Amino acid sequence: MLTLLEQLDKGTLWQSPGGIHPPQLKTLSNQSTIARLPLAHRFVVPVPLVGEQAVLTVAVGDQVLKGQMLTEGTGFTYLPVHAPTSGRVVAIEQHATNHPSSLPTLSCVIEADGQNAWCELIPHSLEQLSKNQILDKIKNAGIAGMGGAAFPTHVKLNPASEINLVIINGVECEPYISSDDRLMRDYSDEILKGIAVIHHLLNPQRIIIAIEDNKPEAAKAMQDAVQRSTLPAGIIRVTVIPTKYPSGGEKQLIQIITGKEVPSGHIPAQLGIVVHNVGTAYAIQEAVYQGKPLIERVVTLTGEQIGQPGNYWLPIGTTINDALQAVSFNPSAAQKVIVGGPMMGYALADLDVPILKGTNCLLAPSAHEIAPDVDEKACIRCGECAVACPALLLPQQLFWHAKAEEYDKAASFNLKDCIECGCCSYVCPSDIPLVEYYRVAKSALKIEAEEKRQAEQAKVRFEARIQRLEDEKNAREAKAKEAAAKRQSNMKSTDKDAVAAAMARIAAKKAQATSSTVSPEAPQTTVDPKKAAVNAAIERAKAKKAAKANTVSRANELDTSSAEVSVDDKQAKIAAAVARAKAKKAAQANTESTVQTPNPAETEVAGTEPTADAVDDKKARVAAAVAKAKAKKLAQAGQTDDSAVEAEPTTDAVDDKKARVAAAVAKAKAKKLAQVGQTDNTAVEAEPTTDAVDDKKARVAAAVAKAKAKKLAQVGQTDNTAVEAEPTTDAVDDKKARIAAAVAKAKAKKMVQASQIDIGEAASQPTVSVESTADIAPDAALTVTADSADLSPEQIKKAKVAAAVAKAKAKQLAKRAEQEEQ
Amino acid sequence: MTSIFIAVAVLSILALVFGVILGFASKKFKVEGNPIIDQVEALLPQTQCGQCGYPGCRPYAEAIANGDHINKCPPGGTATMEKIAELMGVEQEPLNAEAQSSVKKVAYIREDECIGCTKCIQACPVDAIIGAGKLMHTVIANDCTGCDLCVEPCPVDCIDMIPVETTLQNWDWKLNTIPVKVIHSEQEEPAC
Repeated sequence: MLTLLEQLDKGTLWQSPGGIHPPQLKTLSNQSTIARLPLAHRFVVPVPLVGEQAVLTVAVGDQVLKGQMLTEGTGFTYLPVHAPTSGRVVAIEQHATNHPSSLPTLSCVIEADGQNAWCELIPHSLEQLSKNQILDKIKNAGIAGMGGAAFPTHVKLNPASEINLVIINGVECEPYISSDDRLMRDYSDEILKGIAVIHHLLNPQRIIIAIEDNKPEAAKAMQDAVQRSTLPAGIIRVTVIPTKYPSGGEKQLIQIITGKEVPSGHIPAQLGIVVHNVGTAYAIQEAVYQGKPLIERVVTLTGEQIGQPGNYWLPIGTTINDALQAVSFNPSAAQKVIVGGPMMGYALADLDVPILKGTNCLLAPSAHEIAPDVDEKACIRCGECAVACPALLLPQQLFWHAKAEEYDKAASFNLKDCIECGCCSYVCPSDIPLVEYYRVAKSALKIEAEEKRQAEQAKVRFEARIQRLEDEKNAREAKAKEAAAKRQSNMKSTDKDAVAAAMARIAAKKAQATSSTVSPEAPQTTVDPKKAAVNAAIERAKAKKAAKANTVSRANELDTSSAEVSVDDKQAKIAAAVARAKAKKAAQANTESTVQTPNPAETEVAGTEPTADAVDDKKARVAAAVAKAKAKKLAQAGQTDDSAVEAEPTTDAVDDKKARVAAAVAKAKAKKLAQVGQTDNTAVEAEPTTDAVDDKKARVAAAVAKAKAKKLAQVGQTDNTAVEAEPTTDAVDDKKARIAAAVAKAKAKKMVQASQIDIGEAASQPTVSVESTADIAPDAALTVTADSADLSPEQIKKAKVAAAVAKAKAKQLAKRAEQEEQ
Repeated sequence: MTSIFIAVAVLSILALVFGVILGFASKKFKVEGNPIIDQVEALLPQTQCGQCGYPGCRPYAEAIANGDHINKCPPGGTATMEKIAELMGVEQEPLNAEAQSSVKKVAYIREDECIGCTKCIQACPVDAIIGAGKLMHTVIANDCTGCDLCVEPCPVDCIDMIPVETTLQNWDWKLNTIPVKVIHSEQEEPAC
């Protein structure tokens, strides 16, 4: 039993299953040496990886040199694209590409300047470079498999496992193609140099150059080149294999040379074998020794409709139209142009597509060269296809399932192992285009797999989202709990502080009150005006800030200046808020008045002080609570007031419902409102400027308004239409719905504006209420002091009674104050 | 008499032994959840669109396992319904809604119209929309399931559902096939 290496050295060949012997027509194109065509004017270079793994390094209008990199990218399988000639980038656009679908792909269109000037090339010798540098050079030269599949070569030259055998594929089994044949004949030494690079990188035990026996000249040339080469003797040999289609297929060739079958779903590298095309070896040599990127390749232009069939160096990116015109293409009616060979190639729908790195042949057959399309007939189950199949599949079985669109069943018959060689279609007596069915089934399976993957991804993301929402909810709850606990602990610890603070406040307010009345106490009068002034100043400062904030927010939100519109739900909110503010003031007034009561007691009976204070504090709170309750009432009252002032009859309906909503919202709005209150004038002044609000702001406003418009759908909008007498809203037309929506938006904006004006008007009331409380407070102070003055001389205990009386009075006062405020 | 005792004893021992075996088996071979749910879920398209009336594909799978109708999934279409019918061993039912066109769509936000309200972000079941408050949002097309759920909440109607573009990667050989038929001209009478 001979070892594999010995058998390789002996040239033992194995039989690959199936296969056919189609008539050969290579002589049509392999008679002359590889020629060059005149430089085309326009080149289309597809850059399909841009946006995924790469970015463009040129822009429209840039001058490029021949061999200049057009893209830059990262990724293991990324390959750069180079300019095929010097010229100018005239467009970067979607352009039909050389693919059976002719779908547009992003492409650089380069207009040649005719100079054909190279960019700077850096030649090297093998010894100067490390293996990684060589691989980088090969990658940067953009070398892809030249046999047709265009798989990045540097990946194949950097395998994970050890490589024992390298097969250089010069089989070229397609009946018409002769580009590799001609390349081997004309450039055998260069190919050997490329093989030397591959040997250097992979260090295999054997290198086999496989050539079919229909190319004796090529085999001879390569044999001679091997003799001349510097590669170690005995490691490399030329093996001539019998002509059979599809011996050039990677897996078939491995089977013929080694007798090993590459298992389904595996790659040859897992068997320690790598197959490279002779064209690839040539390109590697160009890249490493001369620094030239892969920008041209040998293309067989053949077929009886071509005047000068032969092999030509065509720059990648040459349009097929240009290439065919240059070789006297004479199209017949319904001329087909096939890319690749007649067995595996595809007909082009559009000739304005570029030559790619894997385009080895353009075939323009005449009518009698290729059988016309005939209707497919029923499968007769003759089994010819199963005999011909080189992958040992059951083509008729695959056909049934593919035709019935039972793709999963077709997959169970190993559809993925079909190499689409076309042997089954060739032998089919019923003219069934079997490969077409398989291609459809394969793409359907691919799409299905992709959908499955996406569904899986969507599921993962959906679950992640659910988890995230859950986590967020838990976090929120925990936070709320923590805050509540904190609040509680704060309350406990600051109870005393609160009392002290209340006391301080009481003192201050008392002083204020006494100062505004004709107070008999001399020292207080001097202090009080000062405090009052400070308070007033602070108040004013706040008002100013508020005014500013208000105008700013107004400018943001408004773009119209109609101030007449006034009543809507916002107003109700505002009113409620105003009422609340008033309630607070009222509460304050209460506390002020109640605060007065203990004073005499304080001055005269020091022992009662703490109790009195405590009572006061409590009172203040009670008063506040009462005031809060009143706030609700006030909300209504305040609103009616407002509407009365503005003479709006429509509010009544809205108020009741809105007031409740308003009460809830009022809290948030209270701040704004308090601020807005003092800004009547500023607001009015700001209005004209709001006309100039720009587009973006308007859009923001529109969005906000839209949301509001939804709420207002029932009340707000109708009210507004009535108030503003907008004719467009009456439009019932279905088409005008959009316009109506826009109008609604505009109205909503106006409402916002109007409501803010209302705020201005309404909020002016707090100032009034302040005055009124100021009026009341002295009264209270007077009465209370009088009362307590009467009582004080009697007993210390009576101070409490006094406090109680004061409390009652304070309540009355609070009521009065609120009524006055209203 | 003893034979009765023996019989009782033997049966008791047998009962004990089998009890232990069953108890062990129930622990050892315990099945978490209903496996049919996972199988049904695997068939559903995972768009999480909620058109079935359940909040996501898994809840619907659970409902199907509990005997709900199998025809409530418009994104899956008839093909999914048939697969579920086969799996569940129930009769096929016509879809209760118009099956969505087989063309996959993804959401697209017209970015200059987006106001940054984040409503679509909250609606997206697969977190395929990125953006922040008052900032422009955009859709991660690769992650979008085309469920339509973001279109409704948008206050400014700036979301479109656009069909996925056919590229070289997802091109189906069938799509561009123009049915070719040889029409014999009148001069060429078929010579039978």
